[in-house]
Amino acid sequence: ERCRCLPRRAMHVPSAASGPTGLRFLGQEEAQAIDQELFTEYKFSVDQLMELAGLSCATAIAKAYPPSSFTTSQPTVLVVCGPGNNGGDGLVCARHLKMFGYQPTVYYPKRPSKPLFEGLTTQCQKMDIPFLPEFPAEAAFIDELYGLVVDAIFGFSFKGAVREPFGSILSTLERVTVPIASIDIPSGWDVEKGKADGLQPDMLISLTAPKKAAMHFTGRYHFLGGRFVPPTLQEKYALNLPAYPSTDCVLQLS
Amino acid sequence: CPPVTPLVSPQAFPLPSLPRRQPTVLVVCGPAQNGAIGLVCARHLRSFVPAPPCRPPRVFWGEFFRPRDTWGHLGTPLSPPQVQLINDAYNAVVDAVLGAEVAEGPEPCAAILATLKHIRIPIVSLDVPSGWSAEAGGSGGISPEVLVSLAAPKECARRFGGRHHFVAGRFLPHEVQRKFGINVPPYPGTECVVAL
Repeated sequence: ERCRCLPRRAMHVPSAASGPTGLRFLGQEEAQAIDQELFTEYKFSVDQLMELAGLSCATAIAKAYPPSSFTTSQPTVLVVCGPGNNGGDGLVCARHLKMFGYQPTVYYPKRPSKPLFEGLTTQCQKMDIPFLPEFPAEAAFIDELYGLVVDAIFGFSFKGAVREPFGSILSTLERVTVPIASIDIPSGWDVEKGKADGLQPDMLISLTAPKKAAMHFTGRYHFLGGRFVPPTLQEKYALNLPAYPSTDCVLQLS
Repeated sequence: CPPVTPLVSPQAFPLPSLPRRQPTVLVVCGPAQNGAIGLVCARHLRSFVPAPPCRPPRVFWGEFFRPRDTWGHLGTPLSPPQVQLINDAYNAVVDAVLGAEVAEGPEPCAAILATLKHIRIPIVSLDVPSGWSAEAGGSGGISPEVLVSLAAPKECARRFGGRHHFVAGRFLPHEVQRKFGINVPPYPGTECVVAL
């Protein structure tokens, strides 16, 4: 039975050394402001943070779904990448999953013509990660071929209507029975209010800090990743992030 | 520049084992890529510092460059650090002065390396002990206790006589490893560091 009381549970996670007021869930504008500050004030490059974010996602996935746990004969993973930075996180994640011994396959229908994304695509291709020419027509095909799906379609900047082909993709993913791991925000959800009839992932990897949508997450695994927020920025936004264990780049929140 | 590389330094010296009352680390960064990796390492070390009495690492970069990506409070340029000052104030030094491509750097590299030869606290060298020729290795150069080879050990690592040798930088595609005959032992689990 999945617990629906996520906010209370998050504040009392025994392994987390949270501050007196507990972990904060960010609104969309706040998340965008923190992102901007990391680039403009702290001078991080998008590449740097995307690499750390994608690595966190692969690490969290490896902790929750080790290769030995797959019922498919090989630990095959379908990574569905959207048209923006969330898609980029997915490409980095796919590459690290390959290094960790998984067999990722990528579907990347809308690719920005920018060196960052072209580079990430090339890195995956040169590591023999296949890119599907079309999306599996039915949920049953995905269940048959893959033990896990990574949802890297939309992130915390998502607003408004879902444009094709992602509407059809999300409809198919909603009928898939293998676990789905969403990067930062379950795709199609409002970043603050969630979406009761939308995708229901088994895992959520919140990057930097969880967004308000995470309060509506009812899956088994909620991880925090993106261990790059400088202490002064954490203080400025009163993030109250629990302590990551040792040198780990992920923290399990639930 | 691999962001995942410098996560090894804290593994070699877990903070509770450092003897000082306010344990901290000095990161010495040279003018080129090795120095830049040192800066990334320092930033990650900072985020691994749990709470007082542990103090954030200090970064020394001399007059080479004014890095723009440091967190303001992390480092201020020190005047060339003296041996006794280093021994007294820090638990360990991260040597990110020179990499495999060059055995000598612009001043004050030579002065810094001369200082590092005489300190008593452990040195962790990134990729190659600074000043060792990448191929021949050094005699009369610095003697690090820990060597972190990046991606794969360099020729001079054969002459390394310190306590711990790690390989870090889990990013080489399998094809590249095969092509260059790189036989690093498998990284455990999701670790980005493996002990040799």
